[in-house]
Amino acid sequence: MNVLKLVARNLLSRKGRFLFTLLGITIGMASFVALMSIGQNMRNEVTAQAYSLGGNFVIVPDDLCVFNQIGIITGDAISERLDFAEFEKIAAIEGLDVIPHLTRRMMIYNPTAGAQQPTTVTGILPAETKTFRNWDMYAGEYFSSQDHEAIIIGQGIMNRFDLGVGDELEVRRGEMFTVVGILASTSSNDDTNVFMPLSVAQRVFDREGSVSYMSATVDDMARFDYFYASIHSVANNVNVATNEQLLGAVLTIIGSVNVTLQAVAGVALIAAAFGIINTMMTAVYERRREIGIMRAIGGRSSVIFRIFVIESGLYGLLGGILGIVVGIIVSVFAAPIIQGDEMLMGLEAGVNIDAVLIVSAIGFSLVISILSGLFPAWKASKLTPVEAIS
Amino acid sequence: MSDCIIRVENLEKIYGKSSVKTYALKGINMQIPRGSFSCIIGKSGHGKSTLMQLIGGLDRATSGNVFIDGVNISDLSDAKLSELRAKKIGFVFQFFNLLENLSALENIQIAMMFGGVPAKEQKKAEDLLKLVGLFDKAAAKPNELSGGQQQKISIARALANDPDVLLMDEPTGNLDSESEKDVMEHIYNVHKTGKTIVMVTHNNELAKQAEHVFEIYDGKLKVV
Repeated sequence: MNVLKLVARNLLSRKGRFLFTLLGITIGMASFVALMSIGQNMRNEVTAQAYSLGGNFVIVPDDLCVFNQIGIITGDAISERLDFAEFEKIAAIEGLDVIPHLTRRMMIYNPTAGAQQPTTVTGILPAETKTFRNWDMYAGEYFSSQDHEAIIIGQGIMNRFDLGVGDELEVRRGEMFTVVGILASTSSNDDTNVFMPLSVAQRVFDREGSVSYMSATVDDMARFDYFYASIHSVANNVNVATNEQLLGAVLTIIGSVNVTLQAVAGVALIAAAFGIINTMMTAVYERRREIGIMRAIGGRSSVIFRIFVIESGLYGLLGGILGIVVGIIVSVFAAPIIQGDEMLMGLEAGVNIDAVLIVSAIGFSLVISILSGLFPAWKASKLTPVEAIS
Repeated sequence: MSDCIIRVENLEKIYGKSSVKTYALKGINMQIPRGSFSCIIGKSGHGKSTLMQLIGGLDRATSGNVFIDGVNISDLSDAKLSELRAKKIGFVFQFFNLLENLSALENIQIAMMFGGVPAKEQKKAEDLLKLVGLFDKAAAKPNELSGGQQQKISIARALANDPDVLLMDEPTGNLDSESEKDVMEHIYNVHKTGKTIVMVTHNNELAKQAEHVFEIYDGKLKVV
């Protein structure tokens, strides 16, 4: 006989209460883990997308709101308020390599979902963008000219909509285009985009002479201030945002959302902690006689205290482990639903479970449950043998 | 008495702190020789169990001293008192007080654990079960045992850490006559090994078997 065996006997002799208390802490930890893993995945995805934009900075309309900033990173469509003439002026700046994008929405039938789903179609300058983005082809061919009436899709689109070279898509009502090629994966939002030549996109969407934003890269980022001033001197109504600035703005929003979600999970955990306190207090009351017997036959108050703390700690340890398992399962099921959100459709849905999250979740659960058990354990240890047996 | 293992001096126990006080024990003095079999008799509510609890360190006296093997237990810390109860004293209660979720064997082993015996050295518990003739009931839970069997497990538990003193509060008070005889036989056998036994009982016939008999009446003690 040792303390751990005694604790195991105590817990298993009250299976119903043990399971329900465990369920409380498991649910709390599962929500915590699910929200953390999805949130962290979102952060990682956004960060990866920001650095895969292919430029050191973007040039956007000067009144671009935060919602649109997220759109640039997630590959969503943003409004087209920049004049193509502005692009030509900026492109003329020496040392600056810049490409324009015209982003619009289109609907594609998803055979798995059995419904039309939105995706982004981006108008590009074929030759310049291929060089700028360092694209390779996975299948088929690239655009043969700047006004090739065809589309190219990313591998994410190919998989999601079960498409292949030769398939036809209706980009806009009555405007059918053939998929002539599929890009090799770049692990960026290019994978979840449909591309067509800029001039064709401008015609199809009645946006002649307009672009949504521009991606730019410079030969020397140390001269950023120079280029910033140069761009503002040649173009009107534009703003320049580095990828880091763009990322910072988006991460701030995601961070706020994450904190809110974690606060919700925190409330669930606090409720679970009170569940443990309640269970342990009830146990102290119900087991007065048992405590008294143990005290009478030589059990020190410190041992009684240890027994109760270990019992509540076990709730945390088991609840933490189960919470991680349930949290991962919930994340896996929740991620595709989150991906269905239009604003985040360019992001790769998934969960981010790493060793740090697992260790910190178990540690957190353990600490909360031990803290919850301290007061009941103290109450138990303070019972005198006679008081407890009587 | 030259070799007293238990000595009680001017022991008082008063319940209640307000104006209404109950005097449970009034200036008790007694000495129990080492290796003796003593009985405390008296009517219910006159302080027998209270005296036993104070001698065993289960409760603290309002005033006076209890010496066990020369150590004044009134001065001991809670931890030291627990150690004393674990190693020096064995308790047998009227209602057995076994832990319901542990087996017969584990009820003995837990007492050994409190006495500081490591788990792998708790084999002696099986010997104690054999001593009380219940080795075949090692895995049985208390609710699967008769009253007499439970009390014999309780006696085995009291012997777990080889204490010098066994304090028994009405050990046969909850048993039928046949079980009483069986349990008492085990108690006498334990006494023959040299243990000091102090037993509280209502039963005058049992008291007659004791070497020393103390009667407690209205909180006061007299040697019979």
